[in-house]
Amino acid sequence: MAYSEKLLDHYDNPRNIGSFDKNDGGVGTGLVGAPACGDVMKLQIKVGADGRIADAKFKTFGCGSAIASSSLATEWVKGKTLEEAEKIKNTEIAQHLSLPPVKIHCSVLAEDAIKAAIKDFRTKQGSKDKAAE
Amino acid sequence: MSQSENERFNQSPEAGAVAPCWSCKQPVAARALFCHSCGAVQAPGQLDHFARLGVAPGFDLDLDRLEKQYLGFQRAMHPDRFVTKTAKERAIAEQQAVSMNEAYETLKDPLRRAAYLLERAGTTAAVDKDQTVHDPELLMEAMEAREQLSEVATIDDLEKLQVEAGAKAIDLISQLSKAFAADDLDAANRAATRMKYWRKFLEESRARRAALEDAL
Repeated sequence: MAYSEKLLDHYDNPRNIGSFDKNDGGVGTGLVGAPACGDVMKLQIKVGADGRIADAKFKTFGCGSAIASSSLATEWVKGKTLEEAEKIKNTEIAQHLSLPPVKIHCSVLAEDAIKAAIKDFRTKQGSKDKAAE
Repeated sequence: MSQSENERFNQSPEAGAVAPCWSCKQPVAARALFCHSCGAVQAPGQLDHFARLGVAPGFDLDLDRLEKQYLGFQRAMHPDRFVTKTAKERAIAEQQAVSMNEAYETLKDPLRRAAYLLERAGTTAAVDKDQTVHDPELLMEAMEAREQLSEVATIDDLEKLQVEAGAKAIDLISQLSKAFAADDLDAANRAATRMKYWRKFLEESRARRAALEDAL
């Protein structure tokens, strides 16, 4: 199978690999999996005081397309507000990396990971707000 | 299966719908390999994998019996037995062999068997779907195991992880068995997904081992 240069670049030099402390109140963690291939993906966002995503990290155990998709996702969410980041579509990721049709679900996994991380952050903020009341 | 046992089975409800033989038009059960009237080989009927191999449906299978049944049927459909037959009969025997292979490959593997039982009960297993799962406990387990694997530095330590993973995979077979016995499809689906992750782990651990050996 021929992979695109962009995909190979993200695979060979993954951006933002690593972890944040998931108990940090400013961090949102998305943990998702694709049981069909046994892949697991963790994507974390760190939200600044201005409400924008200041930093993002990922850790993915899966195929090259899953690694590239999550690497690209961390690059794209940085600097965005949560509302903007939520709008990132798997089709954009797939298109950017020229994913072959059988690997489209890897980009879906990355989109779902972003959404899960945002959801986790919001849940934490909600419980913090409640605690402050 | 003995001759009489086979006859009894072919007349039981599990033998499938009765249809006319393509050759002599006499009625034949879907499960029958040959027409009782004219002896012509019959095309694979609409049967589930259990009925096709003549074993009772369920997760707990007698694997020896499954294999025996499969090998017996495969022998009956062996091309050598059809050299003097017509091209049509040879083609039908081959279709039968393909259907039996599929049934056997599906049933002999606990994970594929579990997924097949879920499908049969009307739910597609998560391992058969291109769908994201969010089960934190399950994913955390998978993530931690894969992290450990990526950090392991010696073959001894790797083997310890492999032994643990193998034990988990075996334990999941009994969890699947319990879940199906209790008709708890959600639990079965989840156990199947966990098994898939442990298998993936074992697969990756072999690659990791090769890398460690190369580094020696």
